[in-house]
This record gives sequence, structure tokens and C-alpha cells, in this order.
Amino acid sequence: MVEHKHEVFEEIVTRFVELKNTSELMIDLAYSSLMLNSKELAEEVQRLEEYMDKLHTDFELLALTSDFKKEEASGFLGLIRLGVATEKIADAAAEMAEVVLRGIEPHPVLKLAIREAEETVTQACVTEGSPLINKTLKEARVHEETGMWILAIKRGEKSLRPKPDTTIQLGDILIASGYAEGVDDLKKLASPAHQCQIE
Amino acid sequence: MPQFEKIEYKPIPVSDLLVEMKNLSELMIDLAYSAALFNDKELAEDVIELERRIDTLAYLLDMEIMIAARDAKDAETLIGVSTVAAAADKISDAAADIAAIVTRNIGVHPIVGEIFEKVEERLMKATVKEGSVIIGQRIDDLDLAARMGVDIIAIRRNKDWILDPDETERIFLGDILITRGAPIGIKEFKDIAEGRLTKLED
Repeated sequence: MVEHKHEVFEEIVTRFVELKNTSELMIDLAYSSLMLNSKELAEEVQRLEEYMDKLHTDFELLALTSDFKKEEASGFLGLIRLGVATEKIADAAAEMAEVVLRGIEPHPVLKLAIREAEETVTQACVTEGSPLINKTLKEARVHEETGMWILAIKRGEKSLRPKPDTTIQLGDILIASGYAEGVDDLKKLASPAHQCQIE
Repeated sequence: MPQFEKIEYKPIPVSDLLVEMKNLSELMIDLAYSAALFNDKELAEDVIELERRIDTLAYLLDMEIMIAARDAKDAETLIGVSTVAAAADKISDAAADIAAIVTRNIGVHPIVGEIFEKVEERLMKATVKEGSVIIGQRIDDLDLAARMGVDIIAIRRNKDWILDPDETERIFLGDILITRGAPIGIKEFKDIAEGRLTKLED
């Protein structure tokens, strides 16, 4: 019985972590969409917002139907409120992305502010000679090498959500976030021979 | 009743205000989750304090925007700036909501912390122990961001939290550090802080 309860709890917390991670990814993507004036990324944020709504409902139902004791009610309330906070964060990200989708040209001051923040978003194109070409994201170990997380891969018109088995191709544009220190490392890794101009 | 200060216009560049709002709101999320998971009331109270700072910044930013808009075209481009600032403010509100779970004694079920530590890989608490190579070092000398993708977001020393410590701050024996960053990096850093690993690799 105790074992079973622990499993239910683990399931609830795992879902909460997904809510948390998704909401934080949405903030990064929303800032990226503003910096790059990218409708695709802004749309991705909106898609994730819908996904969050579903995830959040599932999470709340699971928490409410788990058979907790009276004295545990307060702890469960705390958990539910954590979920509500992730939803609020996701909404805020969606509102930022909406600026791009409404066709408002992001004011230059926004780009400046995003670039100057401690955690920044950047893009790098994969050019001839990059060791990343034909590697899967898992093999490429971009984060270990540069400290930057790949948020999205732009390939022609498409914008791909990174998965461990996604293969990086010549000509891809990597959109990544992380501490400003990692930006140059990522650019060197992706375009070793020459810097490429994006935009 | 909380005390509300009068906010007077100050000429601060919009980009400076936005950068601070962005940094602060993101820091607050990490601090708020840390407060909830480590069940730390003082840290939670500090997060709520930061929320007030963000509110002040939001007022100042709105004033700047109002002054900057001279015509319809200005208004059309500036509305994006105020929307983004409002969103950063909302993020900080969410962080304060998380902190309030702790300050109002609602708490999070104790098992959560245990499981969360297993699955959440971005936040870590470490205590600086005897023999650690970082004792006496300055944060900028440690170069953690470049070395292992790690950032110290708070230090607990003598019952107080130092939030977002300056780069010139030194590490002392007994400090409790909250770090965020790459999963591998924060694990390595915890080993270094607690003296199990005695080499800082480049």
C-alpha cells in the first residue's frame, strides 16, 4: 500500500516537472521569437501553451484523485498551487509571443535587452567543416561542449523541436539559450570556417 | 498591509530596465522553486521582496514608454515593449505565488522534495565543507559559467541569504550555496563544494 502510494506520488511529481520544464522552455522560446522576429517560434510557443493546458488538467486530476489523508491536504494544496504557477508562467510566455504573431515589429530595445541579459538566446548556422554535421543531438553533446541548450532547429521553412535522435544537417540554424559566455563557443562549433550572417 | 512607496520618475534607459526585469524574473523563478523544495522560509520572503522591486521597475518602465511615444507609429512599436515587460512582471508574480506557498505554511508534501531532487536537474543546494578548494575564492575566479555551465544564485551565510551574489563575493566555509545550470555541471560543483572533488578542471 505504501509502495503504491509512492508510485502515485512519483507520477504526480514527474508531471509537475514536465509542467515546470515546458513553462521554462516557453519563456526561452518566447524571448527567441522576439529577438529573431520569428513567427514560427512564436507559433511553437502557442502550441506549447495548448499542450500545457492539457498537461495541467491531467496533473490536477491526478493530484485530486490520489487518495491522500486529511493531514496531507495542505501539502497537496501546495503541489496544486505549484502547478497553477507554471500555468501562469506559460501564459506570460504566450503573451510575449503574441506580440510577434500580431505582426508588431519588435522594437530594437527588446533585441538589445535580450542580448544583454545574463541568459541569452542566440542562433548559429551549421556550415562546412562543422563537427556537428550528420551527428544526432545526443552524439553532438552541444550542451556539454558549450553550455548552451538547443531550443529549436530551423531547417529551411521548418522549425524542428530538438529530440535526442534528431540529426544535425549542413545549413541548419541552431537556436540556443544559455549564459552569454557560451555564445562564442557555440558559433565556433557550428561554423568553424567562417561566421555566417543570419537575417 | 504592505507599505507602498511613492514612485517618482527617474531617467533610466528602457533597455536597462528591461534587462533587469528579465534577469530578476528568471532568477526569482529559480529562487522560488528552491524555497519551495528546500522548504526555506527566509528565502521565500526574499523572493516576495524581489517581487516588489519588479513592480517598481515596471512602473518606471511604463513611465519611460509614455514619455517616448510621440505619435501613433511610436505607440505601435512601443506596445510590444510594454507587453513584454508586463509578461516579465507576471512571471515574477508567479514566482511570488510559489514563495507564498512556503511563507503561508501551506507547504509542499515532503515526498515531493525527495522525488523532485531525483528528477529536477537544474537546481542544487550544496554546503561548503572543510577541504573544499573553493573556500576563500572569488566567484569570478571560479569561472563557473564557462567551466561547467553553473551559476551561483544565492548564498546563505550567518542566517542571511545573499541573492544573486556579486562576482567579487568570496566563498566561506559553511556557506550554503544554491546553484543552477547544466545537470552534469551542478553535480560536479556540489562535489567540489563539499570537498569530494578537489580539482577544478578547465
